[in-house]
Amino acid sequence: MKKPIDTQNIILHKCMRETLTLEAAIKESNRCLLCHDAPCSAGCPAGTDPGKFIRQIKFYNYKGAARTIRSNNILGSVCAHICPVEKLCEKACSIKALEDPININGLQRFATEYGKIHKLEPLKRSKKNNGKIAIIGCGPAGMSCASQLAKMDYDVCIFEREPSAGGVIKWNIPEFRLPEDALNYDIENLANQGVEIKFNSAIDSKESLNKLKSEGFEAVFISSGLSEAFMLDMFKTYTNALDYITFLRQVKFGKDKLNLKDKNIAVIGGGSVAIDSAVSAKSCGANRVYLISLEHLAELPADEEEIKLAQLMKIIFKSGSQVTGVIQDGNIITGIKGIEIDWVQEGKFTPDNARQVSGTEFSLNVDLVVQAIGTKPGKEVGNFAEGIKTKGKGVIMVNDTFETNIPWIFAGGDVVNGGATVVQAVAEGKKAAESMDKYLKNRR
Amino acid sequence: MKNNADLSINFCGVKFENPFCLSSSPVGYHAEMCARAFDAGWGGIVYKTLGLEKSFKVVMPSPRLNAYHVGDKRFVGLQNAEQITDRPIADNIKDLLWLKKNYPNKVLISSIMGYVDEDWTELAKMSEDAGADLLELNFSCPQMAHKHAGHRIGQDFHAVAAFTEVVKKASKLPVIAKMTPNITDMIPVALAAKEGGADAISAINTIRAITDIDIDNFTPLPNIHGNSSPTGYSGKAVKPIAMRFVSELCNSKQLNLPVSAMGGIETWVDALHFLLLGATNLQVTSGIMRYGYRIVEDMIEGLSDYMIERQIKSLDEIIGKAAQKIVDPSDFNTRYQVVSVIDENKCIGCGQCFISCQDGANQAIKFDAATRKVSVNEERCLGCLLCKHVCPVWDCISYKEVDTSYTKHAAIF
Ligand SMILES: Cc1cc2nc3c(=O)[nH]c(=O)nc-3n(C[C@H](O)[C@H](O)[C@H](O)COP(=O)(O)OP(=O)(O)OC[C@H]3O[C@@H](n4cnc5c(N)ncnc54)[C@H](O)[C@@H]3O)c2cc1C
Ligand SMILES: Cc1cc2nc3c(=O)[nH]c(=O)nc-3n(C[C@H](O)[C@H](O)[C@H](O)COP(=O)(O)O)c2cc1C
Ligand code: SF4
Repeated sequence: MKKPIDTQNIILHKCMRETLTLEAAIKESNRCLLCHDAPCSAGCPAGTDPGKFIRQIKFYNYKGAARTIRSNNILGSVCAHICPVEKLCEKACSIKALEDPININGLQRFATEYGKIHKLEPLKRSKKNNGKIAIIGCGPAGMSCASQLAKMDYDVCIFEREPSAGGVIKWNIPEFRLPEDALNYDIENLANQGVEIKFNSAIDSKESLNKLKSEGFEAVFISSGLSEAFMLDMFKTYTNALDYITFLRQVKFGKDKLNLKDKNIAVIGGGSVAIDSAVSAKSCGANRVYLISLEHLAELPADEEEIKLAQLMKIIFKSGSQVTGVIQDGNIITGIKGIEIDWVQEGKFTPDNARQVSGTEFSLNVDLVVQAIGTKPGKEVGNFAEGIKTKGKGVIMVNDTFETNIPWIFAGGDVVNGGATVVQAVAEGKKAAESMDKYLKNRR
Repeated sequence: MKNNADLSINFCGVKFENPFCLSSSPVGYHAEMCARAFDAGWGGIVYKTLGLEKSFKVVMPSPRLNAYHVGDKRFVGLQNAEQITDRPIADNIKDLLWLKKNYPNKVLISSIMGYVDEDWTELAKMSEDAGADLLELNFSCPQMAHKHAGHRIGQDFHAVAAFTEVVKKASKLPVIAKMTPNITDMIPVALAAKEGGADAISAINTIRAITDIDIDNFTPLPNIHGNSSPTGYSGKAVKPIAMRFVSELCNSKQLNLPVSAMGGIETWVDALHFLLLGATNLQVTSGIMRYGYRIVEDMIEGLSDYMIERQIKSLDEIIGKAAQKIVDPSDFNTRYQVVSVIDENKCIGCGQCFISCQDGANQAIKFDAATRKVSVNEERCLGCLLCKHVCPVWDCISYKEVDTSYTKHAAIF
């Protein structure tokens, strides 16, 4: 007989990566081989340097470990919860030749928590005597660039459209995967560096950018992320078809208004974001949650772990399927129609490569449609930075030092890479900061 | 912003930026190594022991090391059959000169070993001329192939006093006498060194030991072409023994000399332990051989944080803080008795405490087979805390004081 399945709350609770106890951290750090070349450190795009902080934990230098993480990666606590480590540092761990990789992410959570609990001294405040730099967007890329510049004593100001910092981490990444404290701690560390953040201050027009120049900013870093979600045309006119950005934000900050209790939800998409959306819907009390994707189960771009979570949450997978139309009542969707597909050519997962399989038509009663089929940079980027070179869906083009075609403008993070990870955004922010420093020094 | 605590010490009138030094061994074998150690943050180095090849030509046995592993814990202790340096004295002197020139603010200690008075004199003078800040007299290597050297001298009070005196006459530098632990009581030897004019004592050198035996060919390890010998044992495993010797040195009113301590130091906590016992200066070998010079970073940062958290301005405030708590067992207050307390919420039901108490103490723990929970029978509990020490959950078992007037203990008093 199969084991009874845990209740939803227990499943979600298990999702949050736990912080290691002191005892567990000592044991885990003692498993580490302390490799000379620390492949784990090379495996971290942002240079958080796990090789060093694990050694510090092993030698009881817990605060030192916390300092290493914080000074290398201003989003060290956030990353300790949501980095896809199995593809990064832990993938590179030497001990995998013998046994399980070191729980690097767990040790990172331990060290950052330790630093917080034991009131690690604030980071050095920028002397602000090295020139003024403006940053557009206070997500991971912007925060990381700001932190690195503050270390070099620049006077840094971040202009943020929203009333709060963090970008996607703040508004969209579900609560059950990331404790709010983690982000708050990282933001506090940044603030202590003397970085100013101007909230409710979008830079979205030529005038607002020109104003920066006249206010004495010598360089700009664009880190505005991806704020425009793709929508299927067939859903555009309906009030109960949301994009994931709006939906996940409402789940986090407007649950009462959303009222999903006993409702049926269709999530369109097969990536990590779609799974986050489906699981979030279920956690709000939704009845039936469908995950509809062109990709078949084995082809889903989401991680195995995430798929397992969705299965445990009893998400219904409509994989290898295409939505063909809606059933409506005025401007409200009451159901969707779909059909199963095969690929014309194997390995190419695009709508134009799908062949519908007749006789597999289905229809589902749904109260809400959530679309998680990708995002692109907001239109305003082209507006304020007139003449900036972009490519593809509108991502900004940069050279390998994160300079755009406009001399004083640099860019990094999702708005450049088209959507990757927090740690990648941190890495790009750091590298851009170094390159801005060089640019300004050369100009003087 | 991070402030570093002041870790500087004054040892025999010499200022060290921090108390952490390499002890005399392969970790300070030549200048390039010492330079990297200085760059990593070590405050001083005791150079690999010098000798005169014209008196005795050193050839190292091979292989010269064996490590003591406990289960999957590698390198708990290290056994070595190494002699003093096998490099020509002229090369070593050049290295010392180079080091002093390039690292004027770091402390350079020259470790020397002679076989007759003239050797000691010559080595002391050469070291002083090369820029050494202090001398350490090696009376303690436990495996010298020369019959009149090392720990054999270190067990001979008269020789220790006489050679120390010779060195003091030859050089103005402060002199540290390095003690062997291969002796029942270190104090008489240390007093002999003091009589000869020593300014400080360092301890411990390695402990004679056999770490392993090959059960297929019946040869103890290291297997030196079919033979072996009880040779110098060091590293984490010897720290408790080193702490005992260091504490005795520091607590001897008659001796009253500064102490440079070593034996198993790897972390800032190990270092702090020796400071609390009364040592001023600290030395390390095995920890470096295992993990590299880099470990000093964590010693500096860890000790510095400890001091800042407790608002300790200088190491002088804590040196010797634990010393006065060390008394003779006859002075214990045995009216104070405890029993163990098990936190039921933390207990994982493994029953290890039950087994240990059952077969190694006084059968005071009950194991409930149905709930897999344990409980303490306070009437039977001896308060030995064996249970606490075997428990895999570090903070599950604690203890409390019991009233000795009417419990089972009443009968004893
Ligand atoms: C649902 C979801 C789950 C994810 N899960 C993970 C995960 O588990 N692990 C992981 O590593 N990554 C994850 N990611 C990806 C990660 O969140 C992003 O790669 C990262 O946030 C990108 O950082 P960024 O700074 O480039 O952009 P963003 O985080 O998008 O930040 C951009 C900021 O700029 C502001 N802004 C935009 N336009 C303007 C303007 N005109 N003026 C001023 N401010 C502006 C925005 O308000 C925002 O604060 C996830 C993403 C999503 C959507
Ligand atoms: C391989 C090896 C060689 C050593 N050689 C010397 C030496 O030449 N002179 C000396 O005074 N001590 C020598 N020692 C002893 C160390 O200096 C030190 O006293 C001892 O190892 C204890 O410290 P530790 O536990 O930090 O290693 C040697 C130790 C080792 C392991
Ligand atoms: S440690 Fe170095 S010197 Fe020693 S045996 Fe190995 S390679 Fe040779």
